[in-house]
Amino acid sequence: MDIKEILFELSRRDALGSINDAAVYAGELLSRFAEIKKLGNMSVAAAFNGKSDYTLLFDAHIDQIGMIVTDVDSEGFLTVANSGGIDIRSLPARAVTVHGKEKIPAVFCATPPHLSAGETEYSDISKIKLDTGLGEKAAEIVSVGDYVTFSAEPAELTGDTVTGRSFDDRAGAACLIELAGRFSGKDLPCNVIILLSDAEELGMRGAVTAAFELSPDEAVAVDVSFGDGPGISDEECGNLGGGAMIGISPVLDRAMSDKLINTAEENGIMYQTEVMGGRTGTNADVIAVSRGGVKTCTVSVPLRNMHTETEVLRLCDLESVCDLLEKYALSGGLADV
Amino acid sequence: MFDILRELTELDGVSGDEKAVSDYIISKIEGFCEYKTDPLGNIIAFKKGRNRSVKKLLVDAHTDEVGLIITSVTADGFLKFSAVGGIDTSVLMFRRVRIGKINGVISGKPVHLLSGDEKKKLPKADSLYIDIGASSREEALGLVRPGDRAVITGGYTEMGGRIKAKAIDDRAGCAILISLIRSESEYDFYASFTVQEEVGLRGAKAAAFTVAPDSAIALEATTAADIAGAAESQKVCRLGDGPAVSFMDRATVYDRAYYSAALESGIKCQPKAAVAGGNNSGSLHLSRGGVRTLAISVPCRYIHSPSCVADREDIENAAKLAAYMINGICSGNIK
Repeated sequence: MDIKEILFELSRRDALGSINDAAVYAGELLSRFAEIKKLGNMSVAAAFNGKSDYTLLFDAHIDQIGMIVTDVDSEGFLTVANSGGIDIRSLPARAVTVHGKEKIPAVFCATPPHLSAGETEYSDISKIKLDTGLGEKAAEIVSVGDYVTFSAEPAELTGDTVTGRSFDDRAGAACLIELAGRFSGKDLPCNVIILLSDAEELGMRGAVTAAFELSPDEAVAVDVSFGDGPGISDEECGNLGGGAMIGISPVLDRAMSDKLINTAEENGIMYQTEVMGGRTGTNADVIAVSRGGVKTCTVSVPLRNMHTETEVLRLCDLESVCDLLEKYALSGGLADV
Repeated sequence: MFDILRELTELDGVSGDEKAVSDYIISKIEGFCEYKTDPLGNIIAFKKGRNRSVKKLLVDAHTDEVGLIITSVTADGFLKFSAVGGIDTSVLMFRRVRIGKINGVISGKPVHLLSGDEKKKLPKADSLYIDIGASSREEALGLVRPGDRAVITGGYTEMGGRIKAKAIDDRAGCAILISLIRSESEYDFYASFTVQEEVGLRGAKAAAFTVAPDSAIALEATTAADIAGAAESQKVCRLGDGPAVSFMDRATVYDRAYYSAALESGIKCQPKAAVAGGNNSGSLHLSRGGVRTLAISVPCRYIHSPSCVADREDIENAAKLAAYMINGICSGNIK
């Protein structure tokens, strides 16, 4: 499987709360290359043993944003709450999947012009009802607490640009599965653990427990970050096609940032820096303060339209991330520093 | 009829670019009627019945749908567009689009980078761009040209007894009219599949002139507002209560005798309980010296979006009501 296929297959499957299709599938792919360890929640890890006791952890989160049903009314309309950040302005007339007793399609209500007095204010997701088309039968299939996910199928745009849902962070997961293939059967200078962690979108909870359990010496959180696009200033984003985004921040280990930059420079790998003033909004924030502290950095894929079902990225950036992390692991990370 | 409806909704036919839809319709009516196309792209057909009609009747459905038109390309390779027909900005944001065979998305600022006020209000439609993944104007212009049409994609799905698809307005009317032409008819009637309804009821103006009918029926889809939270008086029409029959909208005052005959037909139908919107009847009833006109509309939630929702039984009943009115008008039983 090439990395596009891995990304697309991961995108098609969902992982949110008790739904873990994507995590199960990712575990199957990883199990071709290493023994899989299932952690307390739905996180999965694959360990590659190296020549030293030093352990380098590569993390990507396998969960995604979505919604959860809070009410089912007698006419088949659902009320939902968001799980993770969602732009509610873009929900009207959007088709989604409700994960009830079976998966069913549903559409968010759009208010016709004659019912909207002037400019609509979008401040409360519970006011945008979800239409199942099932009338009173909806209650037989859908219950309070069921999950709702976006439904867009992944697709190719121009060149190596692709679009789909949950690329945050299936992009990172796809890179780490690709890396597992590259590490398989190789002599590694240190132990490498690949972790696909749960519940990042709900406050990085999967990484909190997994980092404790796995107790690494050093970690890289592989996630997505803001890519350039209409209405976004150059200062607040990276460029699609500009390569792996290497994080620099007070909460990250500067020696790691520098070594990642040097590794990219020495190997001719496309990269760009992403400087943040404090917390990164990724699992790096919690892994760094796990147990007695872990040297941690971020490596990110530039992504447009984050947290929508039309996320956009370039496959060449995934290749840059894979190449960078492969070379970094083969150099032993900061083991000798 | 529903297989045809599904295939029709899967075709793209933004106003002025309806050829794919028209070609499909011709493939379905060929052999069941006489037809010709006119200079605007309308299909005008004559269906021979068992009996001659006492009135010259034209039954119309429009082939076009709302969508987008590419107006220019930025230096970064993003496509600027205008809406073709009425589309709410919330339906544009972060949607998948198709420009012929080229995939794109409408890209914007992610929710994380919005200020508190920005999160609550829709952006201006002219701040949105289509992203086809091109990194320069040259690359983009190798794939699309200004003037190309884009549709917001939305697959055909069954939701219980409901259908969710794009362009139910007015592929539902087209599917009904195709099925009427493919069936045996008691009486002769004319049919028109017309272009450019969504940009001012234009195709129907020419088609009505050409046919010069005494009477006309517009087969349409109309706004159903029977959604959670809407007051009873604001629902206009309801899914499952049968096709909506109009007495008046913003384009037409309808023939009262036809309106009453439809309501008294015994076929499940409902009045369109609002003076709002408009359809090809606006052109049909003012053609030449005036044409007695009726509109039969399939109630449709979230109309003009990629996720229109309509009821299967309503579509079946609209077809029955159309057949009933054709027989009544053409036989002279409905005066």
